[in-house]
Amino acid sequence: MNKIITLASLMFTAFAVTAPAEDWLERLNENLTVTALDGDIRLRLSGTLDLEAYHVDRPAPGLIYTDHDFLFNPRLTLFVDAQFGPHVYGFVQSRVDRGFDPSEMNARMRLDEYALRITPWDDGRFNLQIGKFATIVGNWTKRHDSWSNPFITAPGPYENLTGIWDSYAPGDADTLYDWAHVYPGESAAEVYADKFQRNPIIWGPSYSTGISISGKIGMLEYAAEMKNSALASRPKSWEIGEVDMAHPTFSGRLGLRPNPMWNVGVSLSAGPYLLDSAQPDLLPGQRIGDYREWVLAQDVSFEWHHLQLWAEFFETRFEVPSLGHVDTFAYYLEAKYKITPQLFGALRWNQQFFGNLRDDLGNPMPWGRDIWRVDMALGYRFTANTQMKLQYSFQHEELALHNITNMLAAQFTLRF
Amino acid sequence: MKARLLTFCLVVSTMSAVSARAQAVIEGKVELPKARSAPVVSKRYEIVSKGGVLATDPPTAVVYLEGTFPKGAAPATAKMAQKDLNFVTPLLPVQVGTKVEFPNEDDTYHNIFSYSPAKRFDLGRYRPEERPIPSQVFDTAGMVTLHCEIHEHMRGIILVLDTPHFVRSDTEGKYRLAGLPPGHYTLKAWVNSKTTLVREVDLKAGATLHVDFP
Repeated sequence: MNKIITLASLMFTAFAVTAPAEDWLERLNENLTVTALDGDIRLRLSGTLDLEAYHVDRPAPGLIYTDHDFLFNPRLTLFVDAQFGPHVYGFVQSRVDRGFDPSEMNARMRLDEYALRITPWDDGRFNLQIGKFATIVGNWTKRHDSWSNPFITAPGPYENLTGIWDSYAPGDADTLYDWAHVYPGESAAEVYADKFQRNPIIWGPSYSTGISISGKIGMLEYAAEMKNSALASRPKSWEIGEVDMAHPTFSGRLGLRPNPMWNVGVSLSAGPYLLDSAQPDLLPGQRIGDYREWVLAQDVSFEWHHLQLWAEFFETRFEVPSLGHVDTFAYYLEAKYKITPQLFGALRWNQQFFGNLRDDLGNPMPWGRDIWRVDMALGYRFTANTQMKLQYSFQHEELALHNITNMLAAQFTLRF
Repeated sequence: MKARLLTFCLVVSTMSAVSARAQAVIEGKVELPKARSAPVVSKRYEIVSKGGVLATDPPTAVVYLEGTFPKGAAPATAKMAQKDLNFVTPLLPVQVGTKVEFPNEDDTYHNIFSYSPAKRFDLGRYRPEERPIPSQVFDTAGMVTLHCEIHEHMRGIILVLDTPHFVRSDTEGKYRLAGLPPGHYTLKAWVNSKTTLVREVDLKAGATLHVDFP
C-alpha cells in the first residue's frame, strides 16, 4: 500500500507542479545568474529535484542499497557554473540525498564535484582542469545526470558489482569465489550481506580528485587525467582527504568526431584499486600500489534527428594479490527515440562476462556471475523543466538461486 | 500610343500617392526592461570548450495592431537562426500561418523544441548543412518559447500574432507602424511574457499618431 501511495504522490506532484510553475521557473532561471565587473564574472545557480521510487526483487540489483523490496529516494542537486572572463570556468555540484547511490541512509549534504578549468585558446585546443570531477573515460558521464539520462539507473558496467573488494585482498581463489557469490544456492540475504564491500568496474561517473587536460584539434578529441583513485573505487575514495595521490590512476581517451553525428573513442585507464586497509592482507614487500585495475574501453555514439544511439565496451583486468589477475568484459547498447515532442522511449541491453580463475584444486571456474539485463524506459516531459520516467529492468544472472530478477522504478525530476 | 501610355502612368502614380496618403502611421516609444545578464554556458561534461563569453541581445518590444483586417496574401517565410550558441534574433514576431525556418549556423548540433501550448514541436538533432532547413508552421496565435535540448542556456521567443500589422522596436524602444488602414483599433505593446501594454487608437487617413508606452 505504501508503494502505491508513494507512486501516486509522485504523479500528483508532477502534475501539480508543472503547468502553474513553468513561467515562474523560467523567470527564476533568469534571476539565478549574477554578474560582476561588467559581466566579466558570471555565476549561475541551477539544479534538479529528483523523487525516485524503486520496487526491486531481492537482492537489490546494481548499486541500490536496500534489503527491502521498496525504496524511496529523494535527491536535491545544486550546480554552480561560473565564468571568469573568457578563459576560466569553474563548476560545483552538491547533493542532498540518502547517499551517492540509492540507499536507506539518512539525508546528508556533500560536494560531489568542484573544478576549475583554464582554456587559454578560444578554439578549445587545450584545457587544463583541476578538482574533483567525473572521469574522462567513455561517453556516459556526459549524460549521467537525471535530466539527460533516459534511464533512472546507470548502464551495467557502471553499477554491476564484481567479487573484487577494495578494502581487503583475497588470500586464495576460494575467497574470491565467496566474495563473487559464484557458488549456487546462496540466498538473497547472503548475497546482500557483503554488497557494500564489492566494487564494479567503474563506479558511476567516478567523481575522483585530480587533474586533467583535454582539447579538440580538428575532428580529433583528446583527454588525459591523473586521479587519486581507480575507476572501480567507491565514492568515499574519491575524496582527497580519504585517498591521497600516493598511488594515482592515469586515464586517457582519444576520440574522433568526423561530424556532429558520430563520435567514437578509445580509453585506457590504469591505477591501484586497493585501499590502505588491504595492506595487511599482502605479503611482505608487496604494496597496494602494485595491484592495478586496467580498463580498455571503446565508445561510440550516433545522433540523428529524434534517434540517439550509444554503446560502450570495457575489457577490464584486476591484478589480485596471490592470484595473478582476473578479467571481465562488459558492454551495453543503448537507444533513445523521441516518439512525440514530449514522449520518449529508451531501450538498453547490458551484458557482463567473467573470465576463468583456477580454484585451489586447479579447476577453471568463472570468478563472477555472468549477467545480462534489459532496461526499458518511457519518459514524458510535462514542460521544459519537469519530466517523469518509468523504468523496467529484467535481469538474468548465472548461478543465482533465482536467475531472473525484476526492477520497476519511477523518477520525477524538476529542473531549474 | 505614346500619349496613352503616358496617361496610364500618370493615373497609376496618382492612385498610388492617394493610397499612400490614405494610410495611417503610428510611431512612439516603448519603455523596455533592463537587459538580462549574459547566460553562463554549462560546460561541466564537455571535454572541449569554446571561449566563455556569449553576446546577448538587448531587450526589444513588439508593437501590433489588433482589429479586423482583410485577408492578405500568405505571409512570407521567416527565419530564426542559431549562431554562436544563441538564437538570432531571440524575439521574432510573425503572423499566424507563417512558416519559420531554423537554420543551424554553428558547427555543432542543435535541437530546438517548444512545449508552449501555441506550438509544441521538437526538431530533433540537426546539423548545419541539414536540408531542407528544419521548419515549422505557426498556425495558432500566442507566445512560443524556444529551447535547445543540447544547450540549456538558449532561449528564444516567437510571438505569433493574428494581425498583419506588427513591428519589433529597436533597442531603445522606438517603433514605427506604417501602412495602417483608418479606423478604431487596439494597439498593443508586448514587452515580456508578463507584460503587454494596451491602448485604444483611432487612425485617420494620412495621419501620423504618436503613442508611447511608459
